[in-house]
Amino acid sequence: MRENHTIVVTGVGFCTALGNEPGAAMRRGESAVVEQEDLLRLPHNCAARVAKVDLRPWLKRRKDRKLMARPAQLALDAAGHALTAWEGPTDNIGLYLGVGREPGDDGESEPALVAAQVERKLDEEAVAGRCRDLYPPLLPLKTLPNMALAHISIHLDVRGENGAWSGGSVSGLTALRAGMWSIREGRSPAALVVAADSWVSVGAVRDLLRMAEGQSISSPGEAGVAILIESAESARIRGAPVLATLDTERLQAAALSPGAHFSALGQCHAADALMSVALQIGTGPVDGWVEAHESEQPAVGVRVEISGDNACYSRASKGGPNG
Amino acid sequence: MRRVVVTGMGMVTPLGVGVEPTWASVCAGESAIKPIDRFNPSGLPVRFAAQTAPPPVQAEDGGDLKLRLAITALREALAMSGPVGGDRTGVCMGSEIGRPPLPEVARRMAEGSTPTQAEISRMDPAAPTRAIAALTGATGPTSTVSTACTSSSQAVGEGYLRIRRGDVDVMVVGGVDVLVDAIMITGFAKLGALSERNDSPAEASRPFDLDRDGFVLGEGAGILIIEDRDHALARGANILAEVSGYGCSCNAYRITDSPPDGRGAYQAMEGALRDAGLEPKDIGYINAHGTSTPMNDPSEARGIQRTFCEPVPVSSTKSSMGHLVAACGAVEAILCVLAIRDGQLPPTINLNKPDPKCALDHVANSPREVSIVHAMTNAFGFGGSNGSLVLSHHA
Repeated sequence: MRENHTIVVTGVGFCTALGNEPGAAMRRGESAVVEQEDLLRLPHNCAARVAKVDLRPWLKRRKDRKLMARPAQLALDAAGHALTAWEGPTDNIGLYLGVGREPGDDGESEPALVAAQVERKLDEEAVAGRCRDLYPPLLPLKTLPNMALAHISIHLDVRGENGAWSGGSVSGLTALRAGMWSIREGRSPAALVVAADSWVSVGAVRDLLRMAEGQSISSPGEAGVAILIESAESARIRGAPVLATLDTERLQAAALSPGAHFSALGQCHAADALMSVALQIGTGPVDGWVEAHESEQPAVGVRVEISGDNACYSRASKGGPNG
Repeated sequence: MRRVVVTGMGMVTPLGVGVEPTWASVCAGESAIKPIDRFNPSGLPVRFAAQTAPPPVQAEDGGDLKLRLAITALREALAMSGPVGGDRTGVCMGSEIGRPPLPEVARRMAEGSTPTQAEISRMDPAAPTRAIAALTGATGPTSTVSTACTSSSQAVGEGYLRIRRGDVDVMVVGGVDVLVDAIMITGFAKLGALSERNDSPAEASRPFDLDRDGFVLGEGAGILIIEDRDHALARGANILAEVSGYGCSCNAYRITDSPPDGRGAYQAMEGALRDAGLEPKDIGYINAHGTSTPMNDPSEARGIQRTFCEPVPVSSTKSSMGHLVAACGAVEAILCVLAIRDGQLPPTINLNKPDPKCALDHVANSPREVSIVHAMTNAFGFGGSNGSLVLSHHA
C-alpha cells in the first residue's frame, strides 16, 4: 500500500460516562452503569450518564452551549480533545460525523402541545397562537442531526469537506470510511471523525423499550468519541506519534465486537462502533476488524492495527490521549 | 478514473408529481406557494407554504407521507433507468427525522402513551434509505446523510465518489423532506427565517430581490439513478447527463447565518470545479441555493463572484417551489440536467428589484434559452455545511 494510502490515527478524544479516559477506567474494572432515579418507573432503570460535560476549553462564546443538544455537547468535547493532537491550520481538515437519535426535543415541545389541546384534541391554531410563548425558539436548530457537526466546525474552526450520517452504529464507521477516503483521494489533509449519541433520557429509554417489544434491553448510555486521522506520510512529516493504522480491507484481521464495552459505558448506539475503534488504541498490540450492523443495512467495517511500538498511547503521545 | 452518469431521475415537488410536470412549471415561472390547506394555520405567523399535492398511496409507505414521496420519485427514476439492484448497487439518501402528524403527537402526550415500534422506525432519518434499498433489492453500501438543506447534495456527492472509486456500479441517491407543520413553522418563524408575506404567498419567495424577507417551507423528494459510465453503456441504458464534480465545506461561522464574505460557498464551488477538472468559464449555469433570506443570498452571491470572475447565468428555483430542505439538492441537480438537455435555464421569479449586494447575471422572471455543457448546483445548510455539484452534458 502506498504511504499516502495508509491512514493512521494521531489523536483520540472521549467524552463518556467514565470520563475522558474510559479505557483506563475500564481496565480498572469501573462501570458507569447505575440506577437512575428518574427511570425507576420504567421496566429498565439503569443507564450510564455523563456527569459533567466541560466545554469551557472549546467554546468561543459560552452562551452557545444553550444552542447545543446533548449529543452536540458530547461530540464537541470529544472532538476538542482529539484535535489537540493537530498543530497546523484547520481550514482544510475534513469533518465527518456519525449521529443517531434525533437530538434536542426531549420533551421541549410538550408544554406547547399539551396546552394547545381542547377536549383531548390538538387545536393547531393554538400551537402558534396562545401557546406560542411556550415553544422554545431555538428548538428547530437543536433538532437537526447535523448541529453537532456545525458546533464542532464553529468552535474548533474546522472548515474542510464534511458530512453527517444518521443510521445507528453504522453511522460512525460510515463517517470513518468517508474520512479515510477523503485523505486517500487528496481532498483532505487530515480528518476529524466524530460519533455521538445519547439515549439516557426518560423518553429515549421509553422508545428503546418500545422498540424491544417486551424483550430486555441493554443499559443505555451516552458518549462522544473522536479520532484524528491523516496519511502516514503526513504524520511522518510533522513528527506526530502514530497511535494506530486503519484500513478498509479486512485481510486477516480478527473480529472485534463493538458491544464489548456496553457493560461499562452503556449502549451508545451511533457512538458504539467508533468507540470500539478508539478503545482499541491503548490496549494493543492488536490487529482487529470493527464491524457494525443495522437491521436491513449491510455491515460497515474498518480494520484497526496497533503495533507493539504504539500499543499504549500514553507512551506514544505527548502527555496522554488528550494531549 | 471511472466516470459517473445519470440514467434515471424522479421527483415529487410542490409544482407537480414527476420530472416533466415540475420542469414545465418551473420554466413557465409558476409558483406552487399557496395558503396552507392541510391543517388550520390561522394562528400561525406564517400561513402559507409550498405543499405537495400528495401522490397516490404506495403500498409500502405505511401511511407515511415522507415515504410516499420518496417511493413515488423512486418509481419514476426506475422507469427511466430500468431495474437496478444487487450487491453492486448502493443507496444514499439525504433525510432528516420523520415527524408524525402533530395531532397524533398531542394525543399521545394527553394519553401518556408512547409511539409504536413502526412509528419509531419511520421517524428514523434512515427510514427512506431502508425502504429504497428494500424496493430496489440494493444490497450494496447504504447510508443516510443528515446535513439539513445540504443533505441530498451531499448524498449525490457520496454516491458519485463511491462509484468513482469502484465500491459499487450503481447508486440510488437523492433526498426527501416533509416539514410543513405547525411546530416547524412556528419554530422557524420565531427564528425570523421565514417570509411573512401572508397577503401574497406566490410572491413570498424572491431570492436575490431587494424586498426578500425569508424563505418558504416546502416539501418533496428527488431521486437520481447514477452509475459507472461503462456499466450504463454495457446494459444499453439511456444516459441523461454526467456527474462530473463535487465539493463541500463547512462555514465555521454561525448556526443560522452565512459568512458575508461567502468563503464557505466559495470553498465548495472551487472544490467542485477542481474535482471536475474545469475552469470557471466552463460553467454555463448555476442553480443557486438562493433561499430568499436576507443573509444567505448576498453571502452566496459573494461566493459566486469570488469563484467566477466572468458573469455566469444564475437562478434560484426556490422562488417557484419553496425550500425543500433535505430534498432540495437532489431536485435542483435534476433541474440542472434538464437545463443542459433542453438548453433552457429556469428563472428566478419575483426578482423585480435585484439587490445590489447580489449583483449576478440573474435569469430573472422568464427562462433563458442558451446551450450549455456544464451546470453547477449549490446547497448550503443550516449549521454551515455547503455542497456543490457539477452536472455535464454526456459526450
